[in-house]
Amino acid sequence: MQENLHFDSSQAVHQKKRQFRLRLIIAFVFVCSLFLFLTGRMAYLQWINYDRYHSLAEGNRVSLEVIPPIRGKIYDRNHRLLADNQPVYSLQLIREDMDSIDEFEAEIQKILTDMPKERFEKFMERFRKGRRAIRYQLPHTLSEQQAAQFAVISHKFPGVTLSARLKRTYPYKAIGVHAIGYVGRINERELGRVNAKRYKGTQVIGKSGVERYYESTLQGYPGLQYIETNVRGSILRKLESEPAIPGQDLHMTIDIQLQEYAEKLLEGKRGSIVAIEPQSGEILAFVSVPTYDPNLFVDGIDSKTYKSLMDDKNRPFINRAINGQYPPGSTIKPFVALGAIERNIISPYKKIYDPGYFEYKGHRYRDWKRTGHGLVDMKAAVAQSCDTYFYELSLDMGVDTIHDSLAPFSLGKRTGIDLFGESKGILPSQAWKMATKGKPWYRGETIITSIGQGYNLTTPLQLATATAILANRGKQIIPHLVSHEQIEPFEQIQIQEIDNWEKVIDSMVEVMHGKRGTARRHGRNLPFKMAGKTGTAQVFSLNEGDYNADELDNRLHDHSLFLGFAPVEKPKIAVAVIAENSGSGSKTAAPVAVSLIERYLTPEKYSDPTNPLSKTQTQP
Amino acid sequence: MQSFQTSQTLYKTNKGWFSRFHIDGWLLAGILLLLSLSLAIVFSASGGDWQVAERHLVRITIALGLMLLFAQIPPNWIYIITPFLFAIALLMLIAVPIVGDVGKGAQRWLDLGPARFQPSELMKVVLPLMVAWIFAHSSYPPNWQRILAALVVIGLTAGLIVIQPDLGTSLLIAMSGLFIVFFAGLPWKLIFGALFAAAASIPIAWEFMHDYQRQRVLTFLDPESDPLGAGYHIIQSKIAIGSGGIEGKGFLGSTQAHLEFLPESTTDFIFSVLSEEFGLIGVIILLLMYLFVIGRGLYISAKAEDNFTRYVAASLIMTFFIYVFVNISMVSGLLPVVGLPLPLVSYGGSSLVTLMISFGILMSIHTHKKLLRQAKY
Repeated sequence: MQENLHFDSSQAVHQKKRQFRLRLIIAFVFVCSLFLFLTGRMAYLQWINYDRYHSLAEGNRVSLEVIPPIRGKIYDRNHRLLADNQPVYSLQLIREDMDSIDEFEAEIQKILTDMPKERFEKFMERFRKGRRAIRYQLPHTLSEQQAAQFAVISHKFPGVTLSARLKRTYPYKAIGVHAIGYVGRINERELGRVNAKRYKGTQVIGKSGVERYYESTLQGYPGLQYIETNVRGSILRKLESEPAIPGQDLHMTIDIQLQEYAEKLLEGKRGSIVAIEPQSGEILAFVSVPTYDPNLFVDGIDSKTYKSLMDDKNRPFINRAINGQYPPGSTIKPFVALGAIERNIISPYKKIYDPGYFEYKGHRYRDWKRTGHGLVDMKAAVAQSCDTYFYELSLDMGVDTIHDSLAPFSLGKRTGIDLFGESKGILPSQAWKMATKGKPWYRGETIITSIGQGYNLTTPLQLATATAILANRGKQIIPHLVSHEQIEPFEQIQIQEIDNWEKVIDSMVEVMHGKRGTARRHGRNLPFKMAGKTGTAQVFSLNEGDYNADELDNRLHDHSLFLGFAPVEKPKIAVAVIAENSGSGSKTAAPVAVSLIERYLTPEKYSDPTNPLSKTQTQP
Repeated sequence: MQSFQTSQTLYKTNKGWFSRFHIDGWLLAGILLLLSLSLAIVFSASGGDWQVAERHLVRITIALGLMLLFAQIPPNWIYIITPFLFAIALLMLIAVPIVGDVGKGAQRWLDLGPARFQPSELMKVVLPLMVAWIFAHSSYPPNWQRILAALVVIGLTAGLIVIQPDLGTSLLIAMSGLFIVFFAGLPWKLIFGALFAAAASIPIAWEFMHDYQRQRVLTFLDPESDPLGAGYHIIQSKIAIGSGGIEGKGFLGSTQAHLEFLPESTTDFIFSVLSEEFGLIGVIILLLMYLFVIGRGLYISAKAEDNFTRYVAASLIMTFFIYVFVNISMVSGLLPVVGLPLPLVSYGGSSLVTLMISFGILMSIHTHKKLLRQAKY
């Protein structure tokens, strides 16, 4: 009270201080009573309910374990297994519960003869120093035999448990990897994207291909297991459980044998093949080469292998079928021709004289054939791939008409395939150029657009889809890799003259079977009638500016393209082939496509009993 | 001459080493006791990991140093800079949603070059200072303008933290401000009125909650409904506490924590480890330690010589109490899990620093009295 004199002796301040102290006392009483309340709560838990919690914790401790769901398997269209789950074994160690670490170290080394010594010692060193109560996993998977060997002596090692889990395996290894995809360890970002609860106990998630696109179908729902354990954490018995719901199996539309055959055809090259069943849009083969082995990724790929794949100049990770964007070259000529006769811009019978070049505003646009094709009508122009015919035609059409003719065939836009990250490609128009380049369209650009050069960029999948739609006589499809029960109703491209389909297709038949067709060599002796179109595209490399001087020559070579379908009357398969830097379309791509179609339509000729892949993996 | 006399008076009143460095011996004793206990439990909860214990010791040392540093600052300085501090902290809070780093799905962090910094942590100290500043020269009971000003400041701060979103911290910071409004003499009629209004507004709050917040409340009401998610923590924590019994399982004897049934055993759930190892007796001793520190804090508040320091001291110590209460209630299943460490015991850096700064300010308030008086008269 003396201190007050120094401040202010007025009654008000005195009163104020007393009021404040009263409130402090109230606060203290409040604190004490809440602490008493907490003490009561603790007494309730630790004294009154002690027996209950004690038995829960000590005598028979109940712990909860997550049962991860089994991931759905993936099959091909003939029920061959493409992605399987196989048991692998590993050892779990708890230092606190182990009697002798030295003895364990000596014995286990006798079993794990295939584990690198250095790696094993490194692990044991970390384990000795680490936390006592933590469960460590030996970084090595045991074979079934090793697991059995350990099981025999396991009674000597309390604190060491053998655990089994299912590991994703891809029996066909690299074949079809760009379609099937692979799973890998879940990272934080992915956990944020998915429902984390559904992935409790699950270590992997689809990273690419169908594995990623159909993640929510393939991944099931985890189950729960209540387990009684003793003080040491060893399992005494299993109590009630809630089973996991396995993921659903998928049936892909690809035929893995056809796929393997297709990949062989492009062996040693960079390129892509997409084969589609025109009626349904089902993809029969989906090739992007070079490839890589998806099994490397399941348990985490080692950095050396990863780096070598990443540094590979041929870029195996790129999915060329949906991300490779190539100038389509002459392969778009049938579509341009259809647009022109549909709009009565030219009669299909009108002949144009080709001296080997086309002149516009003093500039000469050369035909690929220096001497020229002479007098050609539409059919001959497509069959012989006459550039001059299309140069002249394009100026009558204008770029926007070309654009409008090609757009319904799924060029320059995503096809809607069931994969993530599909590229759009480019189908140029006046509006497109203004929007992206901010410049008006020049008529000279229309000329090269008509033969699939200039700004044109398409993916192999788009070309295959366009071919399939043409084969369907205008029935539009959405290409897909996994078969669905329900298929969306398809739309039909409306045209004025129904005969025009046949006129264009006839010109493509001429490519294969005509006297002067560009692929006549490959169409000879085929047991069915086929339509096709060759293409040779000037180079745009996937990554410009990344050239090695030695490689330069090769990488400046033209891309070889081909698209086609058969049989012409009732098409069963439509194919697009792109082989990078492989010269003219007739030289490389055409024989690949013809061979693939022949293999598909006449399988009996190709059935090869010595091919191990064609037999062993077949499921009942 | 005057100044010479002042310093002489100072020397006469401030005898001894503790006073010279503005340390309150009783408070320090209580804090050190709790921190020693903390070291032992963190060591045990980490499964006997010396590295964790070492890191903890380093953090404790740094935090103690900061406490001593803040004890040297005279309260009148703090009074002067309070509005500026508040303005800076408020600006930082506003900056968070604009430029903040996203950590664990919520924007709470500011990236300041080498260090990541959580402005809401700073607000835990600054908001009570600001509210105390508002009432520093008020009448008793305060007029409605000051109450309104205080409520605006509290509401604004809490609102900015709630949108981060960090409901738990926001509520606690709001409470530390409201304590001052209470101590400043808010009429009882208004207090009961507000409590009634708060109870009535629960359904409205429910509407504005994030889904995960609602889920937490629901899980709290029925932990068994989500045994793998949030309910898992509560179930395991209760087993750990209950199985400790009266005497506990002994130091390093916590089977629940060691077998990893208990999550976050060194941080938010460290109380469960303590109760498992030391039993009911240990819990009561811990609560008594806390009561001692809180009692000393309230005593310092009672002995403070002006409104500002009085309110600051009372608010800081009551906030400390609320943290203790909420954490223990949370791990023993009385309140929903909000992710809050046990003051002075949990392992962890930033909240320990904030706490020790508060204790530094408390010590400063208690030991600078005489100097203040000399300066004023």
